[in-house]
Amino acid sequence: MTRSLTRRQLVLALGGLSGMALLAACGQSEPTPTAAPATGSSAASPTAAPVSGSTASPTAPAVVQNPGSKVKVVYWGSFSGNLGEAEQGMVKRFNESQNDVEVEYQYQGNYEETAQKLTQALAAGTTPDIVLLSDVWWFKFYLNDVLLPLNELFATHQIDTSDYVDPLIEEGTRKGVIYWVPFARSTPLFYYNKQVWQEAGLPDRGPATWDEFVEWTAKLVKKESGNTTRYSFAHPGAASYIAWLFQPVVWQWGGRYSDPDFTIRIHEEPAVEAGRFYLSSVRDGWAVSSKDIVADFVNGAAAAMMASTASLRGITNSASFPVGTAFLPEGPNGFGCCTGGAGLAILKNKPKEVQEAAFRYLAFATSPENTMWWSQNTGYMPVRKSAIASQEMQQFYQQNPNFKTAVDQLPKTRQQDAARVWIPNGDQIIGKGLERVTVQQEDPAAVFAEVARTLEREARPVVEQLERREG
Amino acid sequence: MTRRRGWRRALARLGLAALVWLVVVVMALPLYWVATGALKTNREIYTFPPVWIPRDPQWSNFVAAWEAVPFGRFFLNSIVTTLGAVTIELVFALFSAYALVFVKARGKGIVFAVTVAALLVPQTVTLLPNYLTIARLGWIDTYQGLIVPVAAVAFGVFLFRQHFLTLPRDLLDAARLDGCGHLGLLRHVVVPLSRPVIVTFLVIYLVSHWNDFLWPLVATNRLEWRTVPIGVAYLYQVEGVQNWGPILAGTVMALAPMLLVYVVAQRWIVKGIGGGALKG
Repeated sequence: MTRSLTRRQLVLALGGLSGMALLAACGQSEPTPTAAPATGSSAASPTAAPVSGSTASPTAPAVVQNPGSKVKVVYWGSFSGNLGEAEQGMVKRFNESQNDVEVEYQYQGNYEETAQKLTQALAAGTTPDIVLLSDVWWFKFYLNDVLLPLNELFATHQIDTSDYVDPLIEEGTRKGVIYWVPFARSTPLFYYNKQVWQEAGLPDRGPATWDEFVEWTAKLVKKESGNTTRYSFAHPGAASYIAWLFQPVVWQWGGRYSDPDFTIRIHEEPAVEAGRFYLSSVRDGWAVSSKDIVADFVNGAAAAMMASTASLRGITNSASFPVGTAFLPEGPNGFGCCTGGAGLAILKNKPKEVQEAAFRYLAFATSPENTMWWSQNTGYMPVRKSAIASQEMQQFYQQNPNFKTAVDQLPKTRQQDAARVWIPNGDQIIGKGLERVTVQQEDPAAVFAEVARTLEREARPVVEQLERREG
Repeated sequence: MTRRRGWRRALARLGLAALVWLVVVVMALPLYWVATGALKTNREIYTFPPVWIPRDPQWSNFVAAWEAVPFGRFFLNSIVTTLGAVTIELVFALFSAYALVFVKARGKGIVFAVTVAALLVPQTVTLLPNYLTIARLGWIDTYQGLIVPVAAVAFGVFLFRQHFLTLPRDLLDAARLDGCGHLGLLRHVVVPLSRPVIVTFLVIYLVSHWNDFLWPLVATNRLEWRTVPIGVAYLYQVEGVQNWGPILAGTVMALAPMLLVYVVAQRWIVKGIGGGALKG
């Protein structure tokens, strides 16, 4: 029924006549509960006035609650596509699980757009109650003291915070207080094309070290009449977070972007040496700087890449060859890997009952049971130790060994460098510098020196703010 | 001799035709790619060398896009917002430009200078003040919030003023002698003579409002107040593999009304130019 209706609307819209599309639109907005199962909020709000705009309710979330009625919570999320469907699915599961709280899911663009909208909303006093913030954004809002400390709520709800995976919960903790709870967390993985590996006669595993990988590249790179048709590795651009993926490489070379106290170290020798390795990868012709590494990997233009675990589900579904995942290769200084992704935070200055209700959602979405559901549907890691240890998850890993790689790698990860995650735009400043190395083949020493100067300048106000905030 | 000249002319015409077709192909190729991409499986899209004709057209991509988000509602919002903003802009721009050209008043030059100066202010600068304004008015998630702050008219005023200055004064004087007031002049003389410019203005602003992403994203929070470009963004993945089929299907749906506007408007522009030439 739903399907045939939708198809008819579709044909009308394709006719391209705006009038017809308008009709279709009206049909869509009639309260048909079956019409939008994936989009909780439209079905959930009976007040939605389809045509006249004047009846819109005031924007601020309702403060006064009648006893016995549901507490409404506004949730700002950042996921679209399949991940977005899973995120909305989580909200729907929550709303159906109980009768006291109703979460309204509102998509706000990508991580960057959500953070910008939150900044504006703070200025205008139109903030949501709970928000998804990425690893590079939550700290800015912590500095401005707009996030709610969660220790008390964890205690009243008798949730043992030590069940959260340590490196993940620690990233959102300042001075023993939790502000940002891990939800959609990831690590980079080494992805490889098993078919190419087999053709090249390589063992079915990732390279143990970068040296080994460089040896292998002779067998992985394919050339046809002088043109490379297959590279052994692909580098992303700044917009696809190359600074995140290069961070573990810097650690593997014994360097770092910065110390936790914002002393910048990217221009020092070990980090520059790692930069030279990236430069040589491009100059020697075995790695390519790609606009979309996942696309290049999936269609066979690159035999391997580093990318987030969050891509695993999509890559597995799209690739026409068996996909392998492995730990990141080791460098001269051994192993190194970081975490990434996003977590949930609750806004301060809201009525008690709203905060309480928002916390109930947060606890639900990161509960052992639901973190398993989320992980299996997306590729993100379960954020609870008990979930990883559970029989269900272990069984899932047996059937999907690729999903296990990130979890096994997790205990070996370490906290990200302050320069990337806590300096506003630090990720992009470093990423643009790296692009100059991988695309324009500029000298890493000169580029990183410049990047370091920019980072130092941008770090100054953060350090001052941090002193005021934490004393 | 004449035969050779004719031959040469034919060759030149052929060359011109070839050039035109080349340009057409180059321009149409991305459109073709989007339209056919909307019917491909993800695997076909990711295949190299590219697949030009989808082997098994995936009409389900359109269904998937339509079902992922309430596109019907988004179309309604986009149509109301676009038409609302363009109507306001057109009316204000016509009246302002008319006043600046044909009404005698002091300080017209200053008013015009300020108007033109407004063109220099980029959208990013006005974004936050506009947001604060509509937030205080309680206009978030409303049509007035979507429309009013973007219905700015500076370019329209400039465009129409420059055009009005070129209109034949004799014609206007004649109309005035016949007892035409300002409103009548605008309606019966100025507007008909300005049809090509008005249509050009409409095309530019219909497209720009239809495609606007930033303001609708800022001015709305709830799903039911989103517009079509945000609908397409809903389909786009943050991390991982893009599900291109539904994304391109959504893009085609978003594109269709504007293509229609363009096709219709093109006729009007040609007609307008012809008509104007006769009357002038």
